[in-house]
Amino acid sequence: MGISVRNEGGKVSSNINVTPMVDVMLVLLIIFMVITPMLQNKVQIDMAKVDNATAMPDADKDDAIVVAVTRDGGVFLGQNKTSVSELGSQVSTALADKPGKTIFIRADARAQYRAVEDAIDAVRSAGVDDVGLLTQKRENGPGGA
Amino acid sequence: MSMTTGGGGGYSSDINMTPMIDILLVLLIIFMVIVPVTPKGLDALVPQPPKNPEQQKNPGDRTIVVQVLHQPGKNPSYKINETDVYNGAGGPAAQKELQARLTEIYANRAERVMFVKGDDDIDFHYVAEVIDIGRAANVDHIGLMTPKIMAGQ
Repeated sequence: MGISVRNEGGKVSSNINVTPMVDVMLVLLIIFMVITPMLQNKVQIDMAKVDNATAMPDADKDDAIVVAVTRDGGVFLGQNKTSVSELGSQVSTALADKPGKTIFIRADARAQYRAVEDAIDAVRSAGVDDVGLLTQKRENGPGGA
Repeated sequence: MSMTTGGGGGYSSDINMTPMIDILLVLLIIFMVIVPVTPKGLDALVPQPPKNPEQQKNPGDRTIVVQVLHQPGKNPSYKINETDVYNGAGGPAAQKELQARLTEIYANRAERVMFVKGDDDIDFHYVAEVIDIGRAANVDHIGLMTPKIMAGQ
């Protein structure tokens, strides 16, 4: 009896099977490699919160033209800092082959409206007549902000 | 020899599903996290000035311009055309009143167009809230008035 038990025990492998763990880790690695550039390609903006926003999936596309206005009045085209005076010509260059496209404005909730107006005026001078003001969905009911 | 080959019959012929299910669950969780990030926003129009300034029609009485007026140290007040909303006070109650008035105005209209004009010194989110209120009042086209449009450039 004692001998047979000892023999059975000798056959069980004492190594931990790491294959499933490595599988999961590799999948996580690949997924974070895909997600990280998606998260980092935006200027840090605290957007206004509203109730009736519509979905704008186009704003996430690679060729979307997004003008960001930060809280201190800085203007960014995509991720590049620019100035209001140059914004119009830069946008019209970007729009050259696709007129009538919507321009997206990501303005900080506490940005002065003057800065936003100036950015809109610059974009308007490039012939744009449709802008999308990107916002966030309000989560804690009306009257929150 | 024959005994060892016969021993092969002891192996289970089931495929081990556990690692596949692990990976599928991880993928499911990750896609659940990614999907809500679809950007949302408010659509607005920026009117282009008429080619010929003479063409500028005098604004009809059907045009609705909502003004957001700066009040130092307080929430901004609202005006529909030249009429004060909520007696010129600001805050959430004034926004409710604004929405009630706009809903009333646009209830019987076929073309629902509204313009928003904000003071330079207010924060952007007040303007976004007015556009939001317009959307809630079923306004189809919301135009932003900027100083250069007012100057006719």
